[in-house]
Amino acid sequence: MSAFLQYTLQGLAAGGFYALAALGLAVIFGVLGVVNFSHGACYMLGAVASAVLLDTLGLSFWWALLVVPVLMFVFGVLMERLLVQWLLRLDPLYNFLLTFGITLVLVDLVKRRYGVSGLPYQLPPGLDGRVTVGSVSLSLYQVFVTLFAVLVCVAVWALLTQTRIGMIVRASTEDAERSRALGINVGRWVTPVFGFGIGLAGLSGVLAAPFRAITADMGSNFVIILFAVVVIGGLGSILGAVVAGFLVGLVEAYGQAYAPSFAQVLIFVLMALVVLVRPSGLFGREEAA
Amino acid sequence: MSGMSRVMLEVDGLSAWYGEARVLADVSLTVAPGEVVTLVGRNGAGKTTLLRSVMGLHHQVEGTVTFEGRDLRRVRADARAKAGIGWVPDDRGIYASLSVEENLTLPPVVSPGDAWSLERVYEQFPVLHERRAFPGTKLSGGEQQMLAMARVLRMGARLLLLDEPSEGLAPVIVQRIGEIIRQIKASGVAVLLVEQNVAFASTVADRHYLLAQGRVVESLDNETFQSRTTQLLEYLGI
Amino acid sequence: MHRKKTLALAATAVSGSLVLAACGGGGPSASGGKISDGKVVLGLLNDQSGVYKDLSGPNSKVAIQMAIDDYKAKYGDKAVAKDIEIVTADHQNKPDIANTKAQEMYDRDKADIILDVPTSSAALAVANQAKAKKKLFIDIGAGTTALTGKSCNKYTFHWAYDTYMLAHGTGGVVVKNGGKKWSIVYPDYAFGQDMNKSFTAAVQQAGGTIQQSIPTPFPNDNFATYITKAQSTNPDVIGIMAAGGDLINFVKQFNQAGLQGKTDLAVGLMFITDIHSLGVDQFQGTKFTDAWYWNFDDQNRAWADKFKEKTGTRPSFAHAGNYSAALQYLEAVQRAGTDDADAVVKQLEGKKINDVFLRNGEIRAADHSVLHDAYLVQVKNKSEVKEDWDYEKVLETIPAQEAFGPVSGDCKM
Repeated sequence: MSAFLQYTLQGLAAGGFYALAALGLAVIFGVLGVVNFSHGACYMLGAVASAVLLDTLGLSFWWALLVVPVLMFVFGVLMERLLVQWLLRLDPLYNFLLTFGITLVLVDLVKRRYGVSGLPYQLPPGLDGRVTVGSVSLSLYQVFVTLFAVLVCVAVWALLTQTRIGMIVRASTEDAERSRALGINVGRWVTPVFGFGIGLAGLSGVLAAPFRAITADMGSNFVIILFAVVVIGGLGSILGAVVAGFLVGLVEAYGQAYAPSFAQVLIFVLMALVVLVRPSGLFGREEAA
Repeated sequence: MSGMSRVMLEVDGLSAWYGEARVLADVSLTVAPGEVVTLVGRNGAGKTTLLRSVMGLHHQVEGTVTFEGRDLRRVRADARAKAGIGWVPDDRGIYASLSVEENLTLPPVVSPGDAWSLERVYEQFPVLHERRAFPGTKLSGGEQQMLAMARVLRMGARLLLLDEPSEGLAPVIVQRIGEIIRQIKASGVAVLLVEQNVAFASTVADRHYLLAQGRVVESLDNETFQSRTTQLLEYLGI
Repeated sequence: MHRKKTLALAATAVSGSLVLAACGGGGPSASGGKISDGKVVLGLLNDQSGVYKDLSGPNSKVAIQMAIDDYKAKYGDKAVAKDIEIVTADHQNKPDIANTKAQEMYDRDKADIILDVPTSSAALAVANQAKAKKKLFIDIGAGTTALTGKSCNKYTFHWAYDTYMLAHGTGGVVVKNGGKKWSIVYPDYAFGQDMNKSFTAAVQQAGGTIQQSIPTPFPNDNFATYITKAQSTNPDVIGIMAAGGDLINFVKQFNQAGLQGKTDLAVGLMFITDIHSLGVDQFQGTKFTDAWYWNFDDQNRAWADKFKEKTGTRPSFAHAGNYSAALQYLEAVQRAGTDDADAVVKQLEGKKINDVFLRNGEIRAADHSVLHDAYLVQVKNKSEVKEDWDYEKVLETIPAQEAFGPVSGDCKM
C-alpha cells in the first residue's frame, strides 16, 4: 500500500510537468489554432537557459524560475511576430510545419553551441533532501515540483477565471471566430497568448533542469507525450490539459511500477481509448462536424 | 444616430464562394431600422453564408455590404460587431467554458444608449438570473437561445442577425422568441432573420426574401407571403 | 555488345594508368607500386552530430592526425606510406547510413581502412562491407561482442572495449569487493538487453545474485518509479545499463531519491564526457569499467596534454583508441612494406603491442579481439578533483587476459 502511495506521488510530480507544458500548448492551440510543435524545443531552451545562466552569471535556480519564463515569453513574442503570424490565415498545417522547422533549427543551434552530451546543473540548495512521512519517502525536489506546478496551474486558473482578460482568452480558446463576431479583437491577444504559452514551456524546462538530462534532444520525446496529454484532455480545453497532465503522469508511474516495459505505451493506449470513446477528449466540446 | 438613413443594412451584388463552389450569386437586399426581414429557403440555399458574409466571417466574397452608410468591405468581424451588428449563430454560440453571466458580459458594450443593462436582461429573462453562475451550455436549448439574443442586446447591437432561432424548440418557447423580436423591433432595432419555420416567420416579419441556389428568387411583403404559405411550404419541401 | 565491353575495359585501363602515372610523377616514386593509388587513406566513420559526437566525433580526426604525425616523425624518409590522407563521414548512428558511407569510403574515397564506428548495429554493417571489399576495419566506438563472434571476419578488428569487458570488469569486480545483491535497470532494446544478459552472467559467475532486472522504455526521461522499485529489495548495488542522455536522467533522479552514497551505483557503459556534462558531484562514487583514462600515468598524461593543445579538451578513451588503431595500422603497413590489406592483416594478427592506449596489448589472431588492460574506476568526490576532467580514480587494473572473454565458438574466420 505504501509503495502504491509512493508511486502515486511520483506520478503526480511527473504530471505537474506535463500539466504546465500542456497548459501552454492548449492555450496556443485554442487562441491561434496553431499546433505548436516547437513546444518541446522551448521546454529544452528553458532548461538550457537555466544551465547557461547559472554557469555564466551565477543565476540561481530561484532566479531562473523568474527570469527564464520572461525570456521565453519574449522569445515567443518574437517568434509569433516574425514568423507564425504570417501563416495564421492559411491551413493550420503550415504553422505545424513552420514550428516543426523551428524545432530542428533550435535543436541544431543548441547542439552546435553546447554539444550533445548535455550541460551540468545542480539541485538547488535546500531542495536536495528527502521528506519521509510514515513509510513513504519522497525527494524534497519532487514534492516541490508537484506543489509548484499545482500552484502555477491555480494561478493561471485564477488569471483565466477571475479577470476579463482571462474571460476573453477562455472564450477565444473555445472559439476564436465566434469571439471575433462578438466584438472581441482576438488578434490583439494572439501575440501575448503565444508568448505566455512559450513562457510556460520554458518554466517547465527550468523545473526539469535539476532532475533531467539537459541536452538538445530532451524535448523531442517530451513533446510527443504532450500531444497525447492535449488530445486526452480535449483540444483547446484548458482544464482538460491540466487534468490530463496529471492523469498521464499517474498512468506513467503505475506503468513503470507494474508493467515497466509498457510505461510509455500505456499513455498512448489511454489516448487511443479516450479518442475512441470520446473523440473530442475528456473535456473537449462535442463538435458537430 | 441611425435615423439619418432609411436603410440600415444594404447588401449589393453579393457573391460568395467556398473554394471553387459558388454559394451566393449576386444577392441584393436591404433592411431598414425597426424592420424584421426574413431569408427563407431550403437547406444549402446560402442563408447562413449570407449572414456570415454580413458579419465578416466569410472571406471569399465579392460585392458590397453597407451598414448605416458605412462600406464594410475592409472592416474585420470584431469591428463590425463594434459598429452595432449582433450575431446569433444557428448553434446559439454559447461558451461552455464561460458562465451564463460571463457569456452575457463577454462582448463589449458598443452603443451605451441602445444597450440593455444586465438588470434589464435579468428582468426580461429571470431564468438567466437564476442560473447566472452555471456554465453556459448547461442551459436548455431554449434558454441558450434567450442567452444568445440577450447577449447581443446587452452589447447594444442595432442590427440582429438571427440564424434559425426557432429551430428545435418547443412551441411555447418559439412564441416567447416571437414576443422578444416584436419587442426589440418596436425599439427600432432591425432584424435579419434566417428561418425555415414559415408560420413563425409570418408572425414576426415585415418582408421576406426567398433564396434558392444562392440567388434571391422572390421578394415578398408579409401579406403576400401569408397568402402563399401552402405553396411556399411545398417549395421548401417541409 | 562484346566489342563494346572490351572497348570500355580498355578505356578504363588506359585512363587508370594515366592517373597512376600522374600520381607517380608527383613525388618520389619509390613506393608507387606498393601503396595502392599512391597514398594511404584512413576513413573515419562516426557520429559527427548526435549523441556520441562528444565522446568521439570530430576530435577523433585530430587523434588520427596525431598518429600520422608521430608515424611520419618516426620514419621520416624511410616511411612506406608517404602520402596519408584522412576522410571523414557522419553515420548518424544508423546502420543503413553506415553501410552506404562505408561503401563510398572504400570505393570512391579509396579508403584503405575504416576506423571508429560507434553504435553496434552500424559497426556490424561496416564489418560486412569490410569483408565484401576485402579492406580493413578497426572498430573502436561500438561495444557488441558480435564483431569478434558471429560477425567476425578476416578484415575486422575490435580495438577498445566490448560488453563482456564492461560486465566482467564492473559486475565481477564489484561482487568480489562485497557488492553481492544487485538490481539491474536496463533500456528495453538490443543494447540494453545484451548488457543485462552480460551483467547477469558476470554477477552470478562471481557469486552475486540478481534480485530484479527492470526493463524501461527507450528513450525515457522519467525514472523515478523505476528507481523506487529497484531500491525496494534493498540491494547492495543498483546497476544501470542506460547510456547517454538517459543515463544522465537516471543518475540525477537516483541522487534525488537520496540514494547517492547509500546504495552503490554501477554503470554499464559510461564515458568521461558523461561525467563532464553532468558534473562530477552528481556521479561521485559511481563505479564503471573504463578502457583507458587520460590521467592514469605520465605516458597517458603526456599524450593528453598534446591532445588538449589541439582541441582544448581532454581525450576520451575513444580518442586514444582511434590514435592507437591508426598508429598500429601505419606501423603494420611499414612492416609489410605495402598497404595491401591481406599483407597488413598478417602483420597485425598475433601482434603484441604496448602503446599509449594498449597496455599488455595483444591482437588475438583467432577472433581479432584486441586484448589489453582495462580499469575498474570510481568517480572522484568533488573535493578530490584537482583540475578539469580529473574525474576518475582507478580502483583496480584488470589484466588483459581477464578483461576480455575467451574466443567465441561463433567466430568462423
